[in-house]
Amino acid sequence: MVSLTFRVVGKSIPRIDGLIKASGEAQYAFDLEIPGMLWAKLVRSTIAHGIIKKIDYSEALKVKGVVAVVTGKDLPYKLGIYVGDRDVLAVDRVLWYGQPVVAVVADSLEAAEEAAEKVVVEYEPLPAVLDPEEALKPDAPLLHPKLGEYRRAPGFNPIPGTNIASKYELKKGDPEKAFKEADVVIENKFKAPMVSHVYLETMNVIAWYHRDGTIEIWSSAQSPFAVRYLMSASLGIPLHKIIIHRPFVGGGFGGKAGLNLEPLVALLSKHAGYRPVRLLLSREENFYIAPVRTGIIAYIKTGARKDGRIIAHDSTYIFDSGGYADYAVNVARAAWYKCTGPYDIPNVHCISMAVYTNKVYATAFRGFGHMEFHWAVERQMDILAHELGIDPLEIRLKNALLPGKGVLPTGEKLREDAGRLDQCLIEAAKAIDWDKPPEKPKEPWKVRGKGIAALYKGPAEPPNAAASAIVKFNEDGSVDVLVGTTDYGQGTITSLAQIVAEELGLPIEKVHVRFYLDTDANAYTWQTVGSRSTFQDGNAVLMAARDAKRKILEIASQVLHVRPENLELRDEKVCVKGEPWECVSLQEVVFGYTYPNGHTVGGPVIGVGYHMPERRTYLDPTTGRAPDGSPGAPTIFITFGAQAVEIELDLLTGKVEILRYAGAFDIGKAINPLLVKGQIYGGAVMAMSLGMFEELKYGKDGRLLNPNLTDYKVARAGDIPKKMIPIIIENPQADGPYGARGLAENVMIALPAAIANAIYNATGVNIYEMPMTPENVLKAIREQKPELIEKAKKALMEYLEKKG
Amino acid sequence: MSLILPKFEYYKPSTLDEALELLAKFKGDARILAGGTDLIVDLRSRIKKPKAVIDIKGIKELHKLEYIEGKGLIVGATVTLNELLEHPIVKSKFHVLYDSVRQLADMQLRNRATLVGNICNASPAADSAPALLVLDAKVKAVSKRGERVIEIKDFFKWVKKTALEPDEMVTEVFIPEPPEGSRGKYYKATRNVEDLAIVGVAGLVAHPNEPSKRIVRLAYASVAPTPIRVYEVEELFKRDEPLPKLIDEAVNIVLRKVSPITDVRGSDWYRRHLVDVLTRKLLVELFLEG
Repeated sequence: MVSLTFRVVGKSIPRIDGLIKASGEAQYAFDLEIPGMLWAKLVRSTIAHGIIKKIDYSEALKVKGVVAVVTGKDLPYKLGIYVGDRDVLAVDRVLWYGQPVVAVVADSLEAAEEAAEKVVVEYEPLPAVLDPEEALKPDAPLLHPKLGEYRRAPGFNPIPGTNIASKYELKKGDPEKAFKEADVVIENKFKAPMVSHVYLETMNVIAWYHRDGTIEIWSSAQSPFAVRYLMSASLGIPLHKIIIHRPFVGGGFGGKAGLNLEPLVALLSKHAGYRPVRLLLSREENFYIAPVRTGIIAYIKTGARKDGRIIAHDSTYIFDSGGYADYAVNVARAAWYKCTGPYDIPNVHCISMAVYTNKVYATAFRGFGHMEFHWAVERQMDILAHELGIDPLEIRLKNALLPGKGVLPTGEKLREDAGRLDQCLIEAAKAIDWDKPPEKPKEPWKVRGKGIAALYKGPAEPPNAAASAIVKFNEDGSVDVLVGTTDYGQGTITSLAQIVAEELGLPIEKVHVRFYLDTDANAYTWQTVGSRSTFQDGNAVLMAARDAKRKILEIASQVLHVRPENLELRDEKVCVKGEPWECVSLQEVVFGYTYPNGHTVGGPVIGVGYHMPERRTYLDPTTGRAPDGSPGAPTIFITFGAQAVEIELDLLTGKVEILRYAGAFDIGKAINPLLVKGQIYGGAVMAMSLGMFEELKYGKDGRLLNPNLTDYKVARAGDIPKKMIPIIIENPQADGPYGARGLAENVMIALPAAIANAIYNATGVNIYEMPMTPENVLKAIREQKPELIEKAKKALMEYLEKKG
Repeated sequence: MSLILPKFEYYKPSTLDEALELLAKFKGDARILAGGTDLIVDLRSRIKKPKAVIDIKGIKELHKLEYIEGKGLIVGATVTLNELLEHPIVKSKFHVLYDSVRQLADMQLRNRATLVGNICNASPAADSAPALLVLDAKVKAVSKRGERVIEIKDFFKWVKKTALEPDEMVTEVFIPEPPEGSRGKYYKATRNVEDLAIVGVAGLVAHPNEPSKRIVRLAYASVAPTPIRVYEVEELFKRDEPLPKLIDEAVNIVLRKVSPITDVRGSDWYRRHLVDVLTRKLLVELFLEG
């Protein structure tokens, strides 16, 4: 049983990589250089959809310093984690404005850029489809006529002859009957746009295809082992021949989760005569080329009884996947098996799909589809509450999924030690004085309102997504820890160090978790995604530390002449339980114990550990059940949470300001409360930014209109709410490390809906579409309650008369 | 957008004469570099491909920031926006200029960007332009052929087009003393903080409670191909009528003068709406302060 008192776990230790990041000493792929390195530059499509008729790069080859020019036809491989639909460079057909078509390699960036400008590509334009609903129509242009021939992973369901990259459906109970029995049925449509991750470090890769067939890659990648595996599978090269070096990563948020530019640059290195090649995207290129977050169109129908109990849910989630399936098909899948939001609804019918459109392709993004569909579910909850005249908090509590009772859409019963949504809701509401009406704003043309929204999410991963860890003792009793996860800001390596220090009785200073990662040296983990690292890599590290401890006690047992179970590790010593003065120092035993005469027992202590999801299942895409028909069990944990805001809205301009924010999350155990709070703050700012500012805007011709940070708006320091209240709730989960669950994505998910719910509370106006820019908010007010704007104008003029 | 700059010849003259010589020599195919916050972006995106870039930061006489009591303020071509903000007289006397420059871009950019550069770039959204318009600023344009003074109202010709001849450059802007007893303010509607203006409104008001002496001036950014001052409202406010009524009329006049477009930053209807409400808010605030 877990001890209730901890030395290191549960303590707010500043992140162990903080100083070298702040000082600029941390090395990113961006910083690296290899002598003799060449530069690559990409030529991008200038139309949204069409056939490549001709590529003429004769003039490019004449530029001094050009080493190779490569087209899609030279790279006959198909990429894709779940559906093998992606060309390395466009072959025959381009699918979005900005898709890479030709790559130029030269001995300098200048030469590469000059040559790239001289490549002439002729296209035969095809009709483009930008809206996923349009793409579903029978006469829509088809992006992937060969969809039926592509490789696909188990559980994914592309529909050949359509633009559906993957489709899922499930049913629980008898929704048709329940809708007939409902006292009230409401139906709504909600939308959220495609958005960009805007990680600080743009995508960049150095690759060196060696003459012996080994490929070395230095990449800004979240999941180096996935890069290696997917490259191996796509290119047909054995895993041990591919080495991914992963320095520090300047942000990812899911955008660097999978395989991106790595195979292209590796192949360019080969075409350039086995010389190292760098490809580095400018911010603008990153907007055109790098994958983005899915957009959504969501239809929800809800049937409820007068008392607020929801008895039926029917939803269709249409995710905008852009030109390729990538992670979008798994995003749609994750939204499908969690389609109801965090509520216990007996009768459910859900469809979810990822649909191809002529835009840059979509991938994982912090929250993995959950922000998109929670936007719909959590707005719908408020609309239902208002329809029934029930308090939005009360209706959520009434329908909340609760441990040991609630049943998920896949038929899985919520584990008894799951998190408590009811506690999260009550605490978040309390923190913003839910029971009291907001204070009156100073200016009479402004209004205030409060809103709350609930959320749940677990890691969306295969049932065998493993993690592993190695804990190696050094001669002086310090340890090196090798893990597979990437810390691009979450704070994971600090909490992993805390777990090791806790288990081995070491001060945190004696634990080094390797910052840099090489796939041929570090322990394996499947990916760094889905808020899985603390839980899975944490469990792996815990097991490795306990394995090392067992080995240490075995050696010490011989020295102290006491059975291992009667020994304990404390203060860098191994001591006899009950006789803490009978000890041997850790340093004396971790490399074997040497007796005065030279005889030695034991040897260097290395602990190994792993974590494998337990009793998780594949899901049948047509039923949501496990392949054998039993309840589908997709996720290893679910983290519940609630987010509440008080806002002030200027009725003259439509501008919304968050006066205070509270987020409550049941994470089982905070390994490091400081870093947990950091996640809660950071996630709130990012979610607010997505909810209020961010949107990739496309012209009718499919051209991206805001491929820069001037017009793609991201929250700045001055936009951050002044009052943020993080609330940590700790109902431990038995199989989590010290009871912990993941958190990194959950802090994002419900905030936009909470803001919109507060807008309704302030104005009676419903917002159905993100982002809630001043213009969009004002537009909604103008459409639904134009009298509010006139009243505000009148109030302004009266203010002048009164004060003047 | 390219990662690197296109090729150009780089000159860093130390005297104005040298700079003017270069401008004449390149006949419009040279660009002036002061702050560079607009130029470098336009070079990287290849919107501008000049043969030569003339860096004027080495010309000492252009770094002039001088207040002459009773006359006005002289702002040289290389004076940065933050230098301007730090000058105490700007805050105490030239309120509307201070208020607009304070909201222009962000701290880092203001460390490099210049006031003269902001007007020479001639963006319809130039934040300093409405302030300079209500302050009746005068622009000194110099070439090898001589110098002339251009009223700020005649300086902006079209989107990114000024009244400058290819061989001319602006050496300084002169801002006369604001009318006695006046207050000024700049309102800027943005998508989030430190953004370009969806709409910017500069207002200057003096003696609001004495109709015969009352002065009201209004100028706008991002509502027309150039920043504009709406002179037509100024006579109106001399009338001895209730202020709310005058404001209503003024807003109607302004709405007839503006011609906003729909772009990635805002729709035409929203811009017109902002012109309406921001003009009202600005005037209410300035009248109440007076």
